[in-house]
Amino acid sequence: MKAQEAKSPLLAKSIVSRIFSIREMGTIIPLIILYIVIAFVNPNFFAPANLIDVVRATSYTFILAAPLTCLMLTGNRDLSVGATTALGGVACAWGLTSLHWGIIPSILLGLFAGLVVGLIKCFIVLNLKLPPFIITLGLQYIINGFVLVTTLGNPITGFPKAFTNLGQGRVFGVFYTIIFALVLGIAIHLMLRYTRLGREIYATGGNKETARLAGINTTKVLMIVHVAASVFAALVGILYASRFNAAQSNAGAGTEMTIMAAIIIGGTSFAGGSGTVIGSLFGCLLLASINNGLVLMHVSSYWQNLVFGAILVISLLLDKIRTDKSGGGL
Amino acid sequence: MKENVLEMRNVTKRFPGVTALKDVCIDLRKGEILGICGENGAGKSTLMKVLSGSYTAKEYEGEILIDDKPVSFTNVYDAQKCGIEMVYQELNMVLDLSVAENLFVGNLPLRNGVVNYKQLYSDAEKLLERIGFDVNPRTIVRLLNSGQMQMLSIMRACAKNPKILIMDEPTSALTDQEVETLMKLLNELRDSGVSVIYISHKMQEIYRICDRITVIRDGQTISTNDIDKVQEQTLIEEMVGRKVENMYPKENHATKEEVLRVEHLSVPHPNIHGKYIVEDIGFTLHKGEILGIGGLVGAGRSESLAAIFGQYVKGVKKEVWVGGKKVKITKPLDAIRHGIGFITEERKLTGYIGVLSIRENMSIASLKKLSGLILMKRRKEREETDKQFRQLRVKAPSSETKLFQLSGGNQQKVILGKWLINEPEILFIDEPTKGIDVGTKADFYQIMNELTSRGVSIVMVSSDMPELIAMSDRCIVISEGRITAELEGEEITETNVMRAAIQGKK
Ligand SMILES: Nc1ncnc2c1ncn2[C@@H]1O[C@H](COP(=O)(O)OP(=O)(O)OP(=O)(O)O)[C@@H](O)[C@H]1O
Ligand SMILES: [Mg+2]
Repeated sequence: MKAQEAKSPLLAKSIVSRIFSIREMGTIIPLIILYIVIAFVNPNFFAPANLIDVVRATSYTFILAAPLTCLMLTGNRDLSVGATTALGGVACAWGLTSLHWGIIPSILLGLFAGLVVGLIKCFIVLNLKLPPFIITLGLQYIINGFVLVTTLGNPITGFPKAFTNLGQGRVFGVFYTIIFALVLGIAIHLMLRYTRLGREIYATGGNKETARLAGINTTKVLMIVHVAASVFAALVGILYASRFNAAQSNAGAGTEMTIMAAIIIGGTSFAGGSGTVIGSLFGCLLLASINNGLVLMHVSSYWQNLVFGAILVISLLLDKIRTDKSGGGL
Repeated sequence: MKENVLEMRNVTKRFPGVTALKDVCIDLRKGEILGICGENGAGKSTLMKVLSGSYTAKEYEGEILIDDKPVSFTNVYDAQKCGIEMVYQELNMVLDLSVAENLFVGNLPLRNGVVNYKQLYSDAEKLLERIGFDVNPRTIVRLLNSGQMQMLSIMRACAKNPKILIMDEPTSALTDQEVETLMKLLNELRDSGVSVIYISHKMQEIYRICDRITVIRDGQTISTNDIDKVQEQTLIEEMVGRKVENMYPKENHATKEEVLRVEHLSVPHPNIHGKYIVEDIGFTLHKGEILGIGGLVGAGRSESLAAIFGQYVKGVKKEVWVGGKKVKITKPLDAIRHGIGFITEERKLTGYIGVLSIRENMSIASLKKLSGLILMKRRKEREETDKQFRQLRVKAPSSETKLFQLSGGNQQKVILGKWLINEPEILFIDEPTKGIDVGTKADFYQIMNELTSRGVSIVMVSSDMPELIAMSDRCIVISEGRITAELEGEEITETNVMRAAIQGKK
């Protein structure tokens, strides 16, 4: 309408401000800065083998982050995914080694463990209407405890070659997991953008009661995202077991926080209703790059904790600035 | 002439793609009430947000002078320090805190660093009593109705003893009685030297309470006049920039064919446990008819519609027939499947989704129609939403604009558009023109006429007496949980409705 009245300096300003207002910019700019810093400090980062390492690490977190993004889009959070990762790996390993099941049934067993966790979580969060933050925290402890009790904290090893091939094998030099992560990312991206379910997820996260009054089955939507998050968490655990030829009771421990930080840095709002999977991909890439960069720069692991804590705080700050701008306060 | 306490000079405020304010100038004198009126999206709320520090000094151009001294605010607290308080158009209460906590949020009485609840409740009680507002200070705000919440935000602002008080459409959710209380309060404030800026679409109120009136159109100041020197007709023309011939263009399309019948409807009281807000009521709706529901706010009209629609189920008793067939409605989706649509009163809480675009908001009630088994039909969605966008004349750069960027009235249009795309047979509308300007109101009534001419039947809850009288074919009045009158045609008069509305009241 009155946009045409803008004079040329304003127009230039609006292009710059438009670039800055792209949600994913929150991760792309730090990513670029990080790469420049690393390039000066330790150019080894850009060695092909190391880059593959970074992408490979990204693929694991992203397989979990993509479905978790959908969950966060509905305005929910899940602190039990890290523990579910360990559970999935252990359940699958148990099938392979103790039950002497085939590979596919064992994988299904691992996924089934994730499904059970997802359904229990749904039941508590949706029916008992308790706050998801606390409930999933409790669930995290329960699952952790369960895994420790059953494995006595020992890793389970000794898998058939065909199984370890999942996490270690490649086609044309590219790891299977990277391809899988890419396909999954594209599928979820298309789902969010072009399908009815995608629309329902955004609507539920934007304003649940409005969505319900418009005839959207918000309970169904929440169930889908909760269950998906748990099942994919279990899948990541299975892939870790395959990659390291060992199912560990602490696989994925503590990752839920960093992954959620990656998602929020990637532009998904804490309150729900806005964000993209592409943003989460950049978030995961940023996380893996920092991780790798710190190791290359011989920074002690104590510092890594500090850096990740800072990232978590910054991501929430970013989110607050974004929601304040969108008039969320009023 | 009285001295100026406030002057805003050449204020310009741009949003991406829209210039909301262009060189706006207003001045406010000590102890006066300045009315501001203008169409939806004219820029009234934006101007007031500039004044109250919601937008920082960097985000707009122009000057603000308080007592002839230039000031610039970086946030709301700066403005509050200068004695400026604002009652926002959209409710902003902390829903899960008590009335008292909300009233004193930001300056809770402390003792040894912890909140002194005893004093808090007694302070709140005193304040509530002084103004004559009857709620328990311990009640959780979520349980109040929208009128009570609005009164609460007004009192919260007054409790801070401001020098300049801004009210953005304070009465759109209030009952007549509450409006009276507010008017009394405003007079008291004026006498004690407080200056008030009063935004409203209700001409009647403006003439009653304001000393001067400023008209804003398309982000520009059109005129400022003493209220006794300017005619209502002139004001309306200045606001809309054209002549509005007929405010209530009512057409009659009512038939005798029954489309909806509700019997034995009982709805639990939202605040009082074990009590019903309406008990064992029933009514019939005919094809092409507008059935008005009158009564005081808090009589349970909104709750009744919500209960029939399936928004509330707990403790609700009802029997519903649609098109002669008995139906079971246990959730909103059931109601929608039976061809019922529901425009709620609380836009922000239950009407729109602020972070989504106009297009996405308009299509959410019709996802079934606008998608295949899995995929959205993007072209069809665009066509349908663009059609409503144009027809309803939503004021926004495009249908990709997010809802939180729209003015209140335009948000209401989008919500209407959402249900028009759904094409319901029966439409429940709770306060159809809440916060809508005079020109657009007439448009809205015209749309209601078109709907009824196509055989759609409407149940309309309204607290706007002229609207209720002019637009209803038939009107029922609810008071004290019962239907106290059923009026038809000529019988629908202000006296009849009012008499029935207060019937049974102590
Ligand atoms: N956060 C925002 N981002 C972009 N545009 C905005 C934003 N807030 C308001 N606008 C635009 O500014 C203009 C003025 O809006 P404003 O809310 O001030 O209108 P109003 O006069 O208060 O209308 P109403 O009577 O409907 O409340 C509108 O065109 C609106 O779309
Ligand atoms: Mg407004």
